[in-house]
Amino acid sequence: MEVLQKISEELQKGNYQQVPKLVQEALSARIPPAKILSDGLVAGMDVVGDKFRRDEFFMPEVLISARAMQAGMDILRPRLVETGVKLAGKVVLGTVKGDLHDIGKNLVGMLMEGAGFQVIDLGIDVPSERFVDAVKSNQANILGLSALLTTTMPRMKEVIDSLMEAGIRQRVKVMVGGAPVTEKFARDIGADGYAPDAASAVEKVRGLIG
Amino acid sequence: MKPTAGGQYRPLTDQGVRKIHESALTLLSEIGVEVHSKPAFETFQKKGAVCDASKKLVKMSRSMVEDAIAKAPKKVVLCGREEKHDLYCEGKNVYLGTGGTVLNVIDLETDQKRQTLLKDVRDIARLCDALENVHFVVLPVYPNDLPPHEVDINRFHSSIMNCSKHLMGGIYTLKGTLDVIKMAETIAGSSRSLRERPFVSFITCVVSPLKIDDLYGDILYHIAQMGMPVAIPAEPLTGATSPVTIAGLLTGLHAETLSGLVLTQLVNPGTPVLYACTATSTDLRTMGYVSGSVEMGLINAGAAAMAQYLNLPNYTTAGMSDSKIVDTQNGYEKAITNVLVALSGSNFIHDAAGLVEFASTASYKQYVIDNEIIGMVMRAVRGIEVSDETIAIDAYRRAGPGGNFLSDPHTVQWMRREHYIPKLSDRQLRVNWEKSGRPCVEEKAKAIAGTILKEHEPLGLPRELSDQLRKMFPEIRP
Repeated sequence: MEVLQKISEELQKGNYQQVPKLVQEALSARIPPAKILSDGLVAGMDVVGDKFRRDEFFMPEVLISARAMQAGMDILRPRLVETGVKLAGKVVLGTVKGDLHDIGKNLVGMLMEGAGFQVIDLGIDVPSERFVDAVKSNQANILGLSALLTTTMPRMKEVIDSLMEAGIRQRVKVMVGGAPVTEKFARDIGADGYAPDAASAVEKVRGLIG
Repeated sequence: MKPTAGGQYRPLTDQGVRKIHESALTLLSEIGVEVHSKPAFETFQKKGAVCDASKKLVKMSRSMVEDAIAKAPKKVVLCGREEKHDLYCEGKNVYLGTGGTVLNVIDLETDQKRQTLLKDVRDIARLCDALENVHFVVLPVYPNDLPPHEVDINRFHSSIMNCSKHLMGGIYTLKGTLDVIKMAETIAGSSRSLRERPFVSFITCVVSPLKIDDLYGDILYHIAQMGMPVAIPAEPLTGATSPVTIAGLLTGLHAETLSGLVLTQLVNPGTPVLYACTATSTDLRTMGYVSGSVEMGLINAGAAAMAQYLNLPNYTTAGMSDSKIVDTQNGYEKAITNVLVALSGSNFIHDAAGLVEFASTASYKQYVIDNEIIGMVMRAVRGIEVSDETIAIDAYRRAGPGGNFLSDPHTVQWMRREHYIPKLSDRQLRVNWEKSGRPCVEEKAKAIAGTILKEHEPLGLPRELSDQLRKMFPEIRP
């Protein structure tokens, strides 16, 4: 299908203005939303992912494609929901209280969007209660916590404890990350997963939610 | 120590420097800096900057910035507790030393990576006290075994006990900073003596892009009030917190470090400050921080050129590697960035000794290796001395055509002065190298580090003074 091919190509170029227009065009042409997703958007991101793994594409190129993907998903998502297509998931992200670092978290968010997840980014310096509220109100199935300081890492455990107190710990998979965070730390605090960088974070999340 | 001047290498033209400077002024006056510290924001407001309290935004005019630059000292002397360790940070004098405040160390005995402890603060300070090419110590490690509120005073105290070179450090709390100054005043004998011969100084960072945060804004404000020397670095990373181009990064860096400098001169004109850069490039595959790229060298050499344009004493970064081991990558990354930045004539090049793995980890044996690299680099900075004596026509007369200079008195007289004698480089013929057990740099460095730690006795402090300090600050660990 020509328009689906074009969606994939424009996505690979990071053309976030064209992709939603083409998605609309595809919808108007009565192409099933699930097919637009798989053969247009996802097909494009697969090529991008492949090139990235081969070091042909660098991170900024992946990010602009992810942005184009997200722009396309904004048009497509409601139609997908209508037709009963199951979406990848909802991710709440944030940097814990007392910590202002956000670039790594932003990268994770962008790549998650590129992978078809819906991302609710709470920003930096986020207290436990806000994380809990956001997981509840968005019915998120993934919670990602970021910290760059050894002094703020302990907050991650506080968030997990808050989820337990609110009785919703089972509803969500908790991932942690940030330069001083380790696999061991993640296990010790009862997180569900850890990843050392943004790209593997996406893989890990996919693995966690099956 | 008589200063050695660099400046032979400049990766920017006059025009380039001016353009970056003008563009940085545009950033400061048009986009402005977010200032989250209350006393800092109020200072800018009181002194006439264009401020928007709802956005915490401060816009600085050209004249405000130029005024501050004019008031900032053009020479900052960072003293050791022994005069031979004094650093004359002015012009293109070059000094190199440690850095980091890292959380991990490669243990000397086990070669394993582990968390840093107060013991490492002491041992590394003592190791660097003995290494002749480490000109100063920027406190390199964080004592994970101490509670946060005891960190500042102990980091400085332990380092003072083990090293008489100038000690500059990052600080974590305002109280800690003030306590350290008080402790240093007690050691110096008075507040005035400390200001005359400051043997400690501080580092407070500006956040790229264009933001002074609340904690370090507060601390900088107070350090300026107290008239203590402070380096004010920004650490833009290409493509992440600055444009991906080096000129773009330098524009942001220039604006950011100057915004800190302006604050200090508004609070207390004449505060000794160092224009400062800890910037580097990123790995385009992950946008993560890298410490050993050649661009890192270019960036910091460029920062030195920008500081020199304004005749400001400056602090930069070089000499690191992203390698996890002592291998070829470790060698070439450290050598390349160190040589570029040293030749650029930067006054205070930190991180130049002891760090590995993206500036996340210190390593005992690495200090010895880097001491060697710096030695070679300083020889390059020193350049070629030309005089009747070094040209030595008389020696030619003695040797004559077809002769040799092997045992000429001139050779004996000049050889040690002229040539860097490496401790680690192996220059043996293969047959001899085999006979001596195939020595390698890593093993030699480990042995030297071990010997120094076993034998070296630092200056320390007189007993009564030590006791007095422990009474004043009970959290000091012996």
